Amino acid sequence: MSTQEKVEINNLPTGVPGLDEIVGGGLPEFSFNIIAGAPGSGKTTLAHQFVFANATPERPALYFTVLGESAIKMLRYQQQYTFFDPAKLRGSIRFVNLSQVVLEKDLGAVLEEITKEVERANPAVVVVDSFRTMVRKPQSDMDLQSFIQRLALFLASWQATTFLIGEYAEDELRDNPIFTVADGLFWLRQTAERNSIVRKLQIIKLRGQDSVPGLHTFRITNAGLQAFSRTFGLTARVRNPVGRRHLSFGVPELDKMLDGGVREGDSLLVAGPSGTGKSVLATQFIAEGVRQGEPGIVAVFEERPQAYAERAASLGLDLETPQKDGKLTILYLRPLDLSVDETMHSILDAVQKIGAKRLVIDSLAGFEMALSPGFRADFRESLYRMIFALTGIGVTIISTVEVDESFTEFPFSTYSISFLCDDIIRLRYVSIDGQLRKIMVVIKMRGGNHAKDIREYEITSKGVVLMDQRLTGYQGLISGLPVRSSRSAQEERSSHDSEIENQT
Amino acid sequence: MTTPPQMRDLTQRLLTYEASAGNTSESVESTILRVYEKLRGNLCLLAGVAGFYSLASRALTLARSEAPSLSAVQVAADGNLQGMSAIEPLTNVKTEGVYEAGVTLISRLLGLLLIFLGEALTMNLVRDAWPDAALDDANPQNRRKT
Repeated sequence: MSTQEKVEINNLPTGVPGLDEIVGGGLPEFSFNIIAGAPGSGKTTLAHQFVFANATPERPALYFTVLGESAIKMLRYQQQYTFFDPAKLRGSIRFVNLSQVVLEKDLGAVLEEITKEVERANPAVVVVDSFRTMVRKPQSDMDLQSFIQRLALFLASWQATTFLIGEYAEDELRDNPIFTVADGLFWLRQTAERNSIVRKLQIIKLRGQDSVPGLHTFRITNAGLQAFSRTFGLTARVRNPVGRRHLSFGVPELDKMLDGGVREGDSLLVAGPSGTGKSVLATQFIAEGVRQGEPGIVAVFEERPQAYAERAASLGLDLETPQKDGKLTILYLRPLDLSVDETMHSILDAVQKIGAKRLVIDSLAGFEMALSPGFRADFRESLYRMIFALTGIGVTIISTVEVDESFTEFPFSTYSISFLCDDIIRLRYVSIDGQLRKIMVVIKMRGGNHAKDIREYEITSKGVVLMDQRLTGYQGLISGLPVRSSRSAQEERSSHDSEIENQT
Repeated sequence: MTTPPQMRDLTQRLLTYEASAGNTSESVESTILRVYEKLRGNLCLLAGVAGFYSLASRALTLARSEAPSLSAVQVAADGNLQGMSAIEPLTNVKTEGVYEAGVTLISRLLGLLLIFLGEALTMNLVRDAWPDAALDDANPQNRRKT
């Protein structure tokens, strides 16, 4: 069959922000779907969002309620959501209670009642809430299977997109005929992780659609469900061709160490103990971007945006004006039970909104602490996806990470995430001549010829300032407890320079 | 707790609408029952028979505190209102009394919907039952403003 003869399946909006991306663009029209999950997992709210997004006076929605939550109470609570439009209840959405027929009659009568209402209303959307209670009476397998088959056939023939809602357990997946007949199976889960609730959504199957596999985080707010795709909504986006420019840090000597600056689209990690100027460097990077007309985002977890901007002002960096001009956004991301996906969603929204080219995450430790404990186990994996997604759209990322100062080791981070970064700058304290001084070294720069020098630096009123020369005359600088070399500093430099000359 | 004024006003408008739609010789209790039955039909569809019965029983209990003559009235298990016609001979009240009892009962029922569903959804239900009635501003306070 040629492609021209293929039937085109219309996708309907789910009405749930983020879910269209997960289901591959929308829900297939005329599909027969199950929403399964435990009580309180958001099944009814999800169905309501779909109904309110698709019901029209010409093609209304029929919402069958059965035993369980009373329709009046359901409407009482559901109208609190912002998506709930009372005007749609006149003509576009019709609620029909089937309790009586379910209680008093058999499945044949239930099907007859549904048929009657569907033929009368000609609905585009049909919801049965809850289907589980509808078939709760003992039925023979054949009766139930036959009922489901006939219901699915009838509703598809009447061009209705259907949702059956039920409180199913996952071990029923194999034996319950409903899951075989269904075109789509949406499973909602909520689990308690220490003191937090983690909500996850899985599309177990969705015929005709290229849905995103895996578990996706979702949240229920006064706007209803909001889903956060594991792909961060980036599958539908055109990946920006990443340029090969070198972006200035705003610290000329550091730019030289980085062979001209951070390569555009790179992820750079600034690691060091507390007080070594990680945030200062990151702030200088973002401020330099703004100065060069490159909008930026700063995601902060450990201090509020105002405090962050004030600290930048003390370094002579104005972050207030670019914020007012829409060139800079400082995101404070520290709600309870935060998921990486939600954080990503906030960051991506901000990136899109101002067309950001630079992003600072300050810091990864704060980021992790802001997450619900249940998400911390996935931190590295989520971070990998986040960095991959953002750099893929051309954003250059500077992340800061605090490492414990050790005089026996030289760790790059406590997260074993250095493999996620293209470039690493390591800051540390050293004890020299009775002073605690600071040194900086570029550990890694993927695809770049970075300096191997260990440079001393200071944090002044102008930010990070590197000393003129690389630190020589000492051995064991990176241990933090160097010893004076027997060779003079001049000899060290001459020796090093001649080595370079010999190599070239 | 008394009947919300806007629900009393709405009930009176519904009764007036039904009275004008029926025969001139129609009794007050027939008009009341017609209004009740229209609400019953729509509410049974929404909330089920059992759901409607619960609401109607509660409304009747509340209404009895304002209109003792309603003690002769019962809500059957299917939601049917029984005993309205018996109010007058049993209690010897005049037509105005029957009318007042009916207004109290219906407005209590609408008042419960107002409590549970809010004004927008309550008015949607009423408009569904009386699509041709002019009920756009059932709140007398709003009408006074305009």
